[in-house]
Amino acid sequence: MSKTALVVDDSRTMRQMVAFTLTNAGFTVIEAEDGKDAVSKVAAGTKLDIVVTDLNMPEMDGITLIKKLRQLTAYKFTPILMLTTESAMEKKKEGKEAGATGWIVKPFNPDVLLKTIAKVLPA
Amino acid sequence: MNSSKVPGGSIREAADVGDVEREAHRRAWESFGNDAVQIIPILKAHMAAVTQETERAAMELMGYLQVLASSSAAITATDKAASLSKVVMAMQFQDITRQKLEHVGSALDQLQQHVQVLLEGPENPKAQQEIAALQRMERSYTMDAERRLHEAGGVSDYLEPVPIDIEPSKNETDSVTLF
Repeated sequence: MSKTALVVDDSRTMRQMVAFTLTNAGFTVIEAEDGKDAVSKVAAGTKLDIVVTDLNMPEMDGITLIKKLRQLTAYKFTPILMLTTESAMEKKKEGKEAGATGWIVKPFNPDVLLKTIAKVLPA
Repeated sequence: MNSSKVPGGSIREAADVGDVEREAHRRAWESFGNDAVQIIPILKAHMAAVTQETERAAMELMGYLQVLASSSAAITATDKAASLSKVVMAMQFQDITRQKLEHVGSALDQLQQHVQVLLEGPENPKAQQEIAALQRMERSYTMDAERRLHEAGGVSDYLEPVPIDIEPSKNETDSVTLF
């Protein structure tokens, strides 16, 4: 059974590139255009194996999304990777405190993204 | 000096107030002018960097597409898979350049807001706040490349390295932080 990934990014091209990478690796991908859209898509308790989210987005940013997901029992321990152009240490610290599992700076290398996901997915 | 004790004192007081306002207005414009003179070349440098990235990405994409389209037996499936990964990397120039241009747009909006406030006169309490805000433009940056370019102060021959490597580098793993 394939694993499910939630990909959240306000850039349609970025969403499609991440989705392309993950689909080719066998994931089922759910796309959301910002944090609010993501929350609405997981409200029904969708099973998620991994979340890959951008930081700066309209409506709801990535940090707020992580905090919201961590409040839900179903996603308390789901690996969440930030994928963003932001590389400032204080932002990474903010992400870690919110409950992010890891941080990848764009532009991403598909192989590196997949290897990182493999590392954080539960065995 | 208490000007009210001399004939025509109220006129002089009004003239003094007028001088103070004119001086404040002159200083506000001078401060804005100095900031604008520094920022405009930086914005132009950001736009030049966007053009450079776009050109570089297009050239890279052409190279990878040639590998993908090749029918040569020397090109292996592994080569093609590697080229596909590189295409995905190179295509991300659109997202990077979009963000950079959005930041340039925000800075131009800020400049416009400053001019509007200054045109309303120095008595407007927002004027000083707006001047200070111009100096906070750097805070809207998200990329190291943008911060480096800002630091370079719009030096005309400064060229920011394009953040798309043709060959795999250690930067690819440096870009990942696991908590």
